[in-house]
Amino acid sequence: MHRYRNYRYMVYVLPALAYVAVLSFFPAASVVFYSFKTPRGVYSISNYEAISKAGLLTSIGNTVIVSFGALLIQLFFAILIANILIKSLKGNKLFSTIFILPYGISTVVSAFIFSLIFSPVGGFANSTLYSLGIHSVDWYSTKYSSMGVVMFADFWKNTPLVALILMGGMSTIPPSLNEAASVDGAGSLRRFIHITLPNLAPFIAIALLIRGVSEFNIFALPLILIGYHPSLINTLVYEYFIYSSTTYYSYAAASVLLAIIVVFAFIIIKFGGAKQYEK
Amino acid sequence: MKNKNMPSYIIAIILAVIFIYPLYILILIAFEPISLTFDRLYPYQLPFIFTLKNFEASIKDLSLIKPVIRSIIVAFTVGILAIALATPAGYGLNKLAARFSNKIIMLMFVVNMMPAIVIAIPISVYFIKVGLYNNIFGIALAQELVVLPISVFIMLGGFRALPQDIENQAMVDGASIFHSFRNVILPLIKIPLLISFLLAWMTSWDEFTYAVIISPVNPTFPVSLYDYVSRGEPFIASSFALLVTIPVIVIVVVLQKYLKGEYLSGGMKI
Repeated sequence: MHRYRNYRYMVYVLPALAYVAVLSFFPAASVVFYSFKTPRGVYSISNYEAISKAGLLTSIGNTVIVSFGALLIQLFFAILIANILIKSLKGNKLFSTIFILPYGISTVVSAFIFSLIFSPVGGFANSTLYSLGIHSVDWYSTKYSSMGVVMFADFWKNTPLVALILMGGMSTIPPSLNEAASVDGAGSLRRFIHITLPNLAPFIAIALLIRGVSEFNIFALPLILIGYHPSLINTLVYEYFIYSSTTYYSYAAASVLLAIIVVFAFIIIKFGGAKQYEK
Repeated sequence: MKNKNMPSYIIAIILAVIFIYPLYILILIAFEPISLTFDRLYPYQLPFIFTLKNFEASIKDLSLIKPVIRSIIVAFTVGILAIALATPAGYGLNKLAARFSNKIIMLMFVVNMMPAIVIAIPISVYFIKVGLYNNIFGIALAQELVVLPISVFIMLGGFRALPQDIENQAMVDGASIFHSFRNVILPLIKIPLLISFLLAWMTSWDEFTYAVIISPVNPTFPVSLYDYVSRGEPFIASSFALLVTIPVIVIVVVLQKYLKGEYLSGGMKI
């Protein structure tokens, strides 16, 4: 009786589940299926061969560089911000409002602003350098500097989110721990390394994994800031989708992206997520 | 004491400048005459010369009002749909055994991790057939995927926080299911409802990937902003970029108290 009563409540959950299944799992499966189809209607791996000849590996490499670079920068500054905000400094309310603001700026507007700041001609960054008497810089002169611009914009937009997650973690550390260590003569750096970091580790792991998935899916920022070159996986998929005569190449590239994310998600659930959902 | 906090203050101020500078540029290009910003090789950043000419020019340009209206309709549709699907789901999940409901929540977050572009391309092909391509409701239906897991999670949290017997008590007192929901439960889940609606609204307002692939011809604002930038005409869009940013900043500042890492990290609890 009890069991029956319990499962009856599935009815309420089904609409949301069905929604997700129809609009997400089904399309994703069809992408993988059609990625093996060639324009002649034969099923083979030729699409994959074609896109790997056309520089798929470079795109994956670029995406890895941007993702890890942006993650490390965000993590560093988020720890810094969380460390400052957790102290009860005067004016912290103002600082915490300032540090959360970029979260409220939409990705496209952020990309738009940074495209104006780093514009090689008439850019605000160069205008600042000029007024300091320094030569203008072409921010997009090399592949790595272009990716650096993307990373910087991404740092600006997403650090608040990471900082918020870490703040949640820091507030769980009992202040008595720090006080005790302080009495024993531990300096602030040693306290940070031996008390804050170990206690914060699970929160850092969660933030890294969550942001890691989003970093790999980074799309609007690079599209607006650097276009298709240097290409990241997402902009590559989009380029194939827009400019190639069939959708099959974009399906193949999308499947590669999906495979990477699935592996990543698997790692999250296996090593980070499963425990977290226990109530 | 003062010296001890000095380094923190210096770092905080430097970071605050980095965080505010791009916003300052956004306000600057919206209000400073174009002759001082876009028309110069080295645009002026200070002093600030105020003009409303840019705003007048962009409001006259009807081509941008339509995308903003579309964005508003899409964002409200996504928000309402999120509540309509997530409230019953949260209610039902709360009644199910925890190990079962946790699996369902996890499944929904796996969906959330799927790259938008991977799903958007096949959906767009399908939407062409059913007439939802280049359609604002097509965008809303797709964007719902981004917000639904987090909405369900927030609503589940809301229902879990309710006293267990409250529904039974209302029933004993003779309230019908409808009445007990409307008069007893609804007032208690107001805050989670509001948070899921606003987060859904914000996410949709911001969303680009689904929007650009599903409705490139009738774009929402983010997509048309991208169009202007890629055509090399950013100045037309500059005042609108500020206008669309204001409501979201207001929401974020209002919600600041509730924007706990727990919601933002995709519901992963530690």
